[in-house]
Amino acid sequence: MGDFIEITEKDFETIVAKTQEGLVIFYKKLCPHCKNMEKVLLKFSAKNENIAILRINQEENPEACRIAGVERCPTIVIIKQGAISSSKPGLMNPKELILFYQNA
Amino acid sequence: MDQNFDIIVLGGGPAGMTAALYAAKANLKCLIVETSICGGLVNSTYVVENFPTYESIHGMELMERFQKQLVGAGVIIEDVAEIEKIHLIGNIKKVYTDTGIYTSRAVIIASGRQPIPIDLDQEVDQIHYCSICDGTAYKNKDVLVVGGGNSGFDEALYLITLGVKSLTLIEQADRFFAAKSVQKKLLAHKRVKAMHSISLIRCNLENGQLTNVEVDTQHGNKTLFVDGIFVFMGQKPSTDMFKSILPLDEQGYIVTDENMMTSIAGVFAAGDVRQKQIRQITTAMSDGTIASLCAERYLRIR
Repeated sequence: MGDFIEITEKDFETIVAKTQEGLVIFYKKLCPHCKNMEKVLLKFSAKNENIAILRINQEENPEACRIAGVERCPTIVIIKQGAISSSKPGLMNPKELILFYQNA
Repeated sequence: MDQNFDIIVLGGGPAGMTAALYAAKANLKCLIVETSICGGLVNSTYVVENFPTYESIHGMELMERFQKQLVGAGVIIEDVAEIEKIHLIGNIKKVYTDTGIYTSRAVIIASGRQPIPIDLDQEVDQIHYCSICDGTAYKNKDVLVVGGGNSGFDEALYLITLGVKSLTLIEQADRFFAAKSVQKKLLAHKRVKAMHSISLIRCNLENGQLTNVEVDTQHGNKTLFVDGIFVFMGQKPSTDMFKSILPLDEQGYIVTDENMMTSIAGVFAAGDVRQKQIRQITTAMSDGTIASLCAERYLRIR
């Protein structure tokens, strides 16, 4: 999907630590809301080029889910200054995502 | 992006995508405006087994293939669009979205239907509407599925593959509406219990965690101990934005003639959003075909 960077649980913690401004979408391959959310992220990334957008397959990376406390998908995990600052499961529209990111 | 089109299709489910494909093949400039992603409710269907050509295919895969075909044919798709306003009267139709104003001479409404939320006066975090999205957390746990139609049985089958400890499916009506083959497949699992003539009346929580539910069995109330609830109680038409513009039936569906024409010249409706008896992928595609060809004729003779 788009130019989003696919990560795995092997590099999850290292990448989080290195990321100043970013977000991760935890997704599943056949999850319709995840696909929807990724389209929202495309709109979001077009207006926020400085924010790294990462994606991680929830089914293949249970350890990353445990670390981030993710059970549902899609879940958006916000990273600020090398640490997870907030997370939210479920669908958001572009406006809601911007607000969520700003307040995270 | 060019803002002027021959046909704008509102909604990218099977009906809308079929209409757009036919429009593109007739060399018409066609835009699909979709508030979510293309594929409609089929995206939420784990397995489709009644679509001619595929014995069995994931709903999302089927729709992704369809969308690829559309893009190849030159259809423009604006997805996750926020529709702000629609102007359907007159020769030039206008659709206002968060990214622009689009005009066309014909509009095909294929906005489909959306799941009906459960009517409970309670906030319960463990009530879900998508088993693929939220099912993983219920491995080795007890779940309740509300709804005995195709969606309920299909999603229940998916929950079984995730390894839930037990699954109880309840249906309010006096029978299950899912296809017999799907019913048989689900009921073959020992962990599954399915009951009709039962409705959910209350959830009991402890510290925000669901502990059990009360159901009305018509012979008194009963308690079921479950950790999560998945609701598939059917759908309602997505027609709120057309309420003041088009005649709708009592349930909110758009009324058309057999050529999918509405009461407004140049405005057609197709698929689940239309007043009709049978709502399947194949009948949505039939509607989309007719709507597109009639829209093409409308554009040609005017």
